[in-house]
Amino acid sequence: MAGEGDRLLAVGLSHHTAPVEIRERLALDEDGVRRTLERLRREEIVEEAMLISTCNRVELYTIPRSIEALQEFYGGFRGPNGERIDSHLYWHRGRDAVKHLFRVAASLDSLVVGEPQILGQVKNAVRIAEESSALGQVLHPLTQRTMSVAKKVRSQTDIGKNRVGVGNAGVDLALQIFGGLEGKRCMLVGVGEMGRQVAVALMSAGLEELLITNRTFERSVDVAAEYGGTPVPYERMEDYLPRADIVLTATSAQQPIVTVAMVRKALRDRHYRTVFLIDLAVPRNIEPQVDELEDAYLFNVDDLSRVVEQGKAAREQAAQAALEMLDVEADRFLAALRQVDINSDLRGVAEVAEAFRTAEVARSRRLTNTLDEPQLEALDALTKALVKKLLHRPMMAVRTAAREGDSGAVQTLLRQWKDDDE
Amino acid sequence: MERLPYIAVLVAWGFISMGHLLPDIVGEASRRHSRTVAVVAVALHAATLLAGLFLSPHPTGFPEALSGMALGIGIAYVSVVHRRLRALGMLLAPLAIVILGTSQVVPHRSVQALEHTGYSVWLPIHLGLIFSGLAGFALSSVVGGVYLWARRRLKQKRFANMSRLPSLEVLDRIQFRAMLFGFVFLTLGIGAGGAWAAASLQELWAVDSKIWFTLLIWAWYGAALQVRLVAGRRGRWTALFSIVGFGGLLFSLVGLNFLLAGWHTYGG
Repeated sequence: MAGEGDRLLAVGLSHHTAPVEIRERLALDEDGVRRTLERLRREEIVEEAMLISTCNRVELYTIPRSIEALQEFYGGFRGPNGERIDSHLYWHRGRDAVKHLFRVAASLDSLVVGEPQILGQVKNAVRIAEESSALGQVLHPLTQRTMSVAKKVRSQTDIGKNRVGVGNAGVDLALQIFGGLEGKRCMLVGVGEMGRQVAVALMSAGLEELLITNRTFERSVDVAAEYGGTPVPYERMEDYLPRADIVLTATSAQQPIVTVAMVRKALRDRHYRTVFLIDLAVPRNIEPQVDELEDAYLFNVDDLSRVVEQGKAAREQAAQAALEMLDVEADRFLAALRQVDINSDLRGVAEVAEAFRTAEVARSRRLTNTLDEPQLEALDALTKALVKKLLHRPMMAVRTAAREGDSGAVQTLLRQWKDDDE
Repeated sequence: MERLPYIAVLVAWGFISMGHLLPDIVGEASRRHSRTVAVVAVALHAATLLAGLFLSPHPTGFPEALSGMALGIGIAYVSVVHRRLRALGMLLAPLAIVILGTSQVVPHRSVQALEHTGYSVWLPIHLGLIFSGLAGFALSSVVGGVYLWARRRLKQKRFANMSRLPSLEVLDRIQFRAMLFGFVFLTLGIGAGGAWAAASLQELWAVDSKIWFTLLIWAWYGAALQVRLVAGRRGRWTALFSIVGFGGLLFSLVGLNFLLAGWHTYGG
C-alpha cells in the first residue's frame, strides 16, 4: 500500500539515552550482528533490517512484521542488575526514523559532533545487512540515500572542519601559519599533561621532529622515548631555540623562561623564518612582548581556549544548517519512496483494466464473426485508447495525492479499483 | 561588433565574481565550473587582444595596455585559484572586470613614439613582456594585501572563520613568486624597449620621464627581492614592498602617460 516508508522503524539506544553499562549489554560484534539479523528474520519478527552497533549506539532499522514480537525481543535484554532496559530505548517511526538515520550517518548525533568515523561504521552495517540479504525495497534505497546525504552534508557544511580540544586548537593555529607541518620541528618545554596533549596532536598532524626538554633530564628522556621525540638538556634550550619552528611551553616556572631577547636572537639565527609559540603555562613561561616581534606568533592558554570556543560556536552553526538539510532530504526520500509504491499500485490497476479489455474484445469477437482483420485491429486500438483515456484522470489524482502525502485519499481512490476487481 | 568578444569576456568574469561573492545565488554546481569558464575567457581575451594588435586600423595605445594587464590578471586567476586559494579569486576576478572594463571606456590614444617609428613587431613584444610583468606585480600586491590582513587577524587573536583563508606561509610564497615573475618579465620588457629604440631611432630616448620612473620601480622591486633573499626578511616586508611598488606602477601607467611629456605620452 501507499506509504511503505511509514512502516519504517528505528529502535535503539545511544550515549544520549543510556550509560555504558546498558549499552554494552546490547553491543554486538560483526558476527553477533549477522546472527541477530538472521534470527529476527527467521522468527518472522521483521521483513527488512539493518543493525548498527558501535561503542556509542546500538540501533536497529527495520520494516517490522510484528511490533509486539519486536517489543518482546527487546524485553528479553536485562541491565546489570537484572532490570529491563526498555526505558533507555527510543522508537522512531516513519519520517522520524529516516531523519534519525541521516543524523547518525552525518555525525550530528555523535558524541563528538562531526567526527568522521561514524560514516564508515554505518557503511559497514549496511554491508553486513546486504550480505545477510536483510535489505529490501525500503531499506535498500534508504541506505543508499543515507550514504549520499551524509557525504553531501560533509561537503556542503562546515560540520567536519572545526575540531575540539586544546591539542587540535594548537594544530589549527599551526596550520593557519605554516599550511602544513611537514618538515617542521617543535620544541616542548616541560612535560606536563597539557603540553603533551598539544605535542601529540602536532605529531599526528605530520610534525617532522619533536624536541623535548625538562628541568629534570630523566623525565624528558622518558617522555621522548614514549612519543618518539628527541630529549634536549634543559641548560641547552636556548641553543636549540633557533631550530624550533614551534615552541610549546608548559612548565611550573614562576618567572618567564623564554624572553624577548632570546626569541629575537633565535629569529636572527634562523633568518627570520616564522616561529609559532604556544604558552600553556600559568604563570606564563614566555614574555608576552614576544608577540610584538615581527616574525613571532605567540598564543597563550586563553587564546587557545578561545580557538576551542570559536570552533564550538562554528560547529553549532554548521550543525543547524546540516539539520535543515536533513529535513529536506528526508522529505525528498519519502516522496520518492511513495512514488515507487504508487507506481507499482498503478501498474496493478492498469493490469486489471487491460484484463477487462482483452476479455471484452474476445467476447465481442465470439458474438460477431463478421469482423475482418483490419476491423479487429481498429477495435483493439479503439478499446485501448478508451481505457487509457478513462484511467488517465483517476491515475493523476492518485499521483497528486501521493505526492502530497495524503495516504487516506490514495487508499480511497485505489480501493475503488480493488472493489471492482472482486 | 569589435567589442563583442570583450563583452563576452566581461560577462564570464562577472559570472565568476558572482560565484565568489554571492555563492548562494550562483549555486554550487555552476561554481565548480568557474575555473573552466576562466580558462575560456582568458583564451578568448588573448585571441582578441592579439587580433587587435595585428589587425586593428588604429595603432596600439592605452586601452590595449589595460586590456593586456587584465589578461595577465586572468592568467594569474587561472593559475592560483584552486584548492585552498579560492579566497584570492574573490579579489582577482573583480579586479579583472574593473581593469578590462576601464579599457573599454577610456578614449583611444596612441603613444607619441609610434608617430615616429610606425608599427613594428617590437611593439607587441615590448608590451607583452611589460604587461606580463605588471600582471605578476598585480597578483603579488593583491596576495600581499591578503597576507597583511590574515597576519593582523592572527596577531589580534581574532579566530572567526579562520580556516577559510590560506595559511600565512602559502600566501607569502605566492606573493614572492608572483613578484619574481613580475621582475623577470619587467626586466625583459625594458630590455626589449631599449633594443627597439636602438634599432629604430637615431637618438637614444632616455630623456623620457616614463623610462626614468620605470627604472626607479625596477630598482624598487630589485631591492625588495634583495631584502628577502639576502637579509631573509620576508612576509610583511615583501607584502609592503609589493603594495607600494604596484601603487607606483599604477601611477606610472595612468598618471605619467597623460601628465608628463615624453616618448610614451599619449598624443591626441
